Amino acid sequence: MNEYRWDDLSVGLRHEFEVTLTAEMMSAFARLSGDDNPLHVDADYARAAGFPGPVVFGLLTSAFYSQLVGVYLPGRLALLHGIDLDFVKPAFVGDVLRVSGEVSYLTDAYHRAELRARIVNQDGKTISKAKIRVGLHER
Amino acid sequence: MADILTELTPIFQDVLDLPDLALKRESNATNVEGWDSLAHVNLVTAIQQHYKIRFALGELEDLKNVGEMIDLIETKLKAR
Repeated sequence: MNEYRWDDLSVGLRHEFEVTLTAEMMSAFARLSGDDNPLHVDADYARAAGFPGPVVFGLLTSAFYSQLVGVYLPGRLALLHGIDLDFVKPAFVGDVLRVSGEVSYLTDAYHRAELRARIVNQDGKTISKAKIRVGLHER
Repeated sequence: MADILTELTPIFQDVLDLPDLALKRESNATNVEGWDSLAHVNLVTAIQQHYKIRFALGELEDLKNVGEMIDLIETKLKAR
């Protein structure tokens, strides 16, 4: 786990990681969220709607922004303030996602960073993009 | 110089999610709904990015209302 402090951060600092979407993630997220919409849990329904399989919950994929912030950038001292999020394309079980984020702005007065973040699939297509606002907590 | 109060109004409306907010020089965190500490950081960041200026924490701590923020913005813009 990274542990960036305020003075370590600079515009352009970047981290990324990969994750593969699994059926277990889908069932766990359905239980956790209580969202059992058939587009996400019923393969026949999803195919009839024109998708190759159940559409992965958008908020499941965006959960990886939590890992980006809490583990990588800034890591241990992160205090997530907010996220502006757009879901650009659907994701499916088996997709290999690359999650990346880069410091785009620093508000020195309040030690608040903005990250431009993005999740891209194995075909190079953007699944979602986000503007993340994150501060640092004391310890 | 453009009317800064007029320019700040849509920024405050957007950040505070108050589309009908009538921003005044007397507006401050005690008389504007939703202007909490997190919103304050969002406002300062949005203002910095809009005017391409930077505030120091010491400059912000003394501000009592939007009018004093406008005065500070004008000072920084003139100093550029």
